[in-house]
Amino acid sequence: MKKEYIDIAIIGGGCAGLSAALSAKQAGAARVVVFERAPELGGVLRQCIHNGFGIHRFGEDLTGTQYARRLVDQIRETDVQCLTSTIVLDLSAERVLIAMNEGGITEYNAKAVILATGCRERPRGALAIPGTRPAGIVSAGTAQRYLNLEGYLVGKRIIILGSGDIGLIMARQFVLEGAHVIAVAERLPYSSGLMRNIVQCLDDFDIPIFYRSTVTRIVGENRVEGVYLSEVDACNCPIPATERFIECDTLLLSVGLIPENELASQAGLALLPFTGGPVVDDSFQTGLDGIFCCGNALHVHDLVDFVSIESEIAGRMAAQYTQAPTHRDCEVVHVHDGPGVRGIVPQIIRRNAAETQVTLQFRPDTRYGACYIEVYEGETRIARAKHAVLTPGEMIEIKIPRAEIHADITVKVSTVFT
Amino acid sequence: MIVDMYDVVIIGSGISGAAIANALARYQLRVAVFEKASDICGGASRSNSATVHSGHDATYGSLKAHYNVLGNAMYDKLCADLSVPFSRNGMILFATSEADKNEIARLKQNADQNGVPGVQVLDRASLLAIEGSFGEEVIGGLYAPSSGQVCPYSLVIALCEHAAENGVSFFLNTAVLQLEKQGEGYLIHTARGSVQTRFVFNCAGVYADEINNMISGNRFHITPRKGEHLILDKKLAPYVKATISQTPFDLPSGGHTKGMGIMPSVDGTIILGCNSCDVVDKEDTATSEEGISQIIRFFEENWRHLPIHSAVPSFPRHLIISAFAGLRPHPDTDDFIIGEAADAPGFYNMAGIESPGLTAAPAIAQELANAFAQQHHIPVNEAYCPTRTHKKAFRNMTAEEREQALASNPNYGHIVCRCEQVTRADVLQAIHSPIGARTVNAVKMRTRAGMGRCQGGFCCPEVVELLSKELDIPMSEVTMNGAGSEVIPYEIGSFETV
Repeated sequence: MKKEYIDIAIIGGGCAGLSAALSAKQAGAARVVVFERAPELGGVLRQCIHNGFGIHRFGEDLTGTQYARRLVDQIRETDVQCLTSTIVLDLSAERVLIAMNEGGITEYNAKAVILATGCRERPRGALAIPGTRPAGIVSAGTAQRYLNLEGYLVGKRIIILGSGDIGLIMARQFVLEGAHVIAVAERLPYSSGLMRNIVQCLDDFDIPIFYRSTVTRIVGENRVEGVYLSEVDACNCPIPATERFIECDTLLLSVGLIPENELASQAGLALLPFTGGPVVDDSFQTGLDGIFCCGNALHVHDLVDFVSIESEIAGRMAAQYTQAPTHRDCEVVHVHDGPGVRGIVPQIIRRNAAETQVTLQFRPDTRYGACYIEVYEGETRIARAKHAVLTPGEMIEIKIPRAEIHADITVKVSTVFT
Repeated sequence: MIVDMYDVVIIGSGISGAAIANALARYQLRVAVFEKASDICGGASRSNSATVHSGHDATYGSLKAHYNVLGNAMYDKLCADLSVPFSRNGMILFATSEADKNEIARLKQNADQNGVPGVQVLDRASLLAIEGSFGEEVIGGLYAPSSGQVCPYSLVIALCEHAAENGVSFFLNTAVLQLEKQGEGYLIHTARGSVQTRFVFNCAGVYADEINNMISGNRFHITPRKGEHLILDKKLAPYVKATISQTPFDLPSGGHTKGMGIMPSVDGTIILGCNSCDVVDKEDTATSEEGISQIIRFFEENWRHLPIHSAVPSFPRHLIISAFAGLRPHPDTDDFIIGEAADAPGFYNMAGIESPGLTAAPAIAQELANAFAQQHHIPVNEAYCPTRTHKKAFRNMTAEEREQALASNPNYGHIVCRCEQVTRADVLQAIHSPIGARTVNAVKMRTRAGMGRCQGGFCCPEVVELLSKELDIPMSEVTMNGAGSEVIPYEIGSFETV
């Protein structure tokens, strides 16, 4: 087997991987290699032909493809080596990667590794929806790929289960392509997507969304012929009396995203239940020396802009690590999920790191009206931010001055005004 | 095309049809297999617990018991010859009550009568010596070391392809509509025309009663008996070694059930199931809310008994990746129906092959084919080749084998299905195999592309593209499972837009 020695191996050539590669390069990393299994760089952005990307990162309203193009153009100006159609089959804790493409299998020994492997969609099987298994049950991102990369529609009478952002975006696009989107069914009393997508993709196109409803059965021998929709009670159990049949030829699933962390697991990293990603410190280094993780592989983001911003930090930190892998020795504190908080990132803060501010990100466990996000060190509140509304569809961020942090901290949502 | 005359027509391509096709290929016969579905192995042989039963519970003296034990003993060689993965992982029935212990004592006696090798009644200590961490309430169990797990559709496909390599013709989308006696043989009317044959083998699964009753006055009836299963992510593979089942018990409503089990599939996923429910519709393979909840409830309640609970303390509902249902062909006689119909010479049944049918079928087929050949003085096929020409799947190759394969064929360097590590070369082999995959599901059955945790989300588009290219058909005509199940039926611009 061929052997190569490199400085930084970045696994994944989507937004996270490319952003990390660019900043690693800027921070002076020498040999940076991006491994991308698809034939093209850009990841899921390539199939996102709608706008709404780049407002925070570039101060411009771009389409996903334009956003990807921008990153790819920047990468082309550097000497970052991008290996497309190349899959990483194995990763060890010692940062040895086995990569394969049509040219052969190569072993890469890297000083640092950045896991930027993105996420995948939750499939129907995970929901265990009863019924047959005909054609026409498609996850939203797969339908998006068929439409925007291949030029095909999966159906013409569509029910959407779940109100994740990709499903909402696809609802609008199906209508624009002349298909009929009958309704969106959402088990929760609120959407798991962005508010702006509810307005721009459903309301503006008169597509109804049924909250506290779910699909209880799929009917159809060769192709979906319809689904049964039921309302659910307070325990999320379907209410039989409310079950009704809706004729359709497609059930589009937009029921959540799961970080793709098979390689992280292979290397020996444990995955957290709420984020689906590994534990990281505020440099995005995982529990394994020199292995970093960022983007949707770390936790599923709402906006690509924040993937870029986070991955740029990870890239810079990985570059520093390759130059002086010493900062692991520093004193750390832990960050805990308090009431109302799910999956805080990072989970560890380095007390004496150079950056003056620490940014924490999380999703609330449910929807809140006016409330405070508070950070406590023991009994002492060290930071507080007021929010008019919090929803699990949107990632929340809170910044704390590093100098304020002396011991473990807990972040919580407080609806009691003091 | 279907030629006008065959010596033997086999109706159905499940485990029975596949095994008899393979056994008859050893003789000088023109054999055809008619399958009504778009691919071979579409029925009960595809959707079951994948267990190669030891034979401990089949009623002593029944055909089921006889062929179960014979068939089980054939599996090592059969699977080695066909390069099909098989694991003799043993089965443990665990007991938590005195009633369970009594049933286990009865099963041990039954197993001995049936001639099942090595069955032992275990107390808690010896049970723990085999699988370390049964729950505290488990007081003992039955151990059947000859029980195994196989990938049932891989075996059926291998048997069929091997038969095809030895001259058997396979016709898909060829439902048998009518059967009539004609001279020395039979005239078979199918969805794709009529054909004459000397002999007929009825391996039609849940439809075997209808086929038999077309030609024989010795009528029988098959009830489709639905069994539902769940599949769990292969992350759990390290914690499930032997197949573990509850001790069978009498149902309060009457009848007897084998009970629920946890089976480690040979591909690493974990199968849970199954329940049992008689249905009317022979195509009703829908899973039901009640069925799925029943399985989940059972495992939630009994998880603490299973060895896996020490590593994974509660039932990991979030690791369910799929649910499926299969229809077992349950004969009213409650035993296999095998052999020539008394009033229809040349018409042979291999019917009612419900559990342990997967285990028994190779033995039934071997005995039936040999007796048939002797009865009709059929000479052996000198050209018969005992091994199958099939390249190992990439995911089963060692590192060295992978490098070698890739050096001679760059298609091994491109992964199509990331969850199951299926390469483009694997998919192309499936499409160009002796009974080539023509649908997305057929590719899935032959390669596992789409069977992993993402359930085809990423690989399905590429499989569609490869089928379109290799079969030279438009993308919009590629189906999941035959006509009417097109994956992407409409080209952009097909609909009027507002």
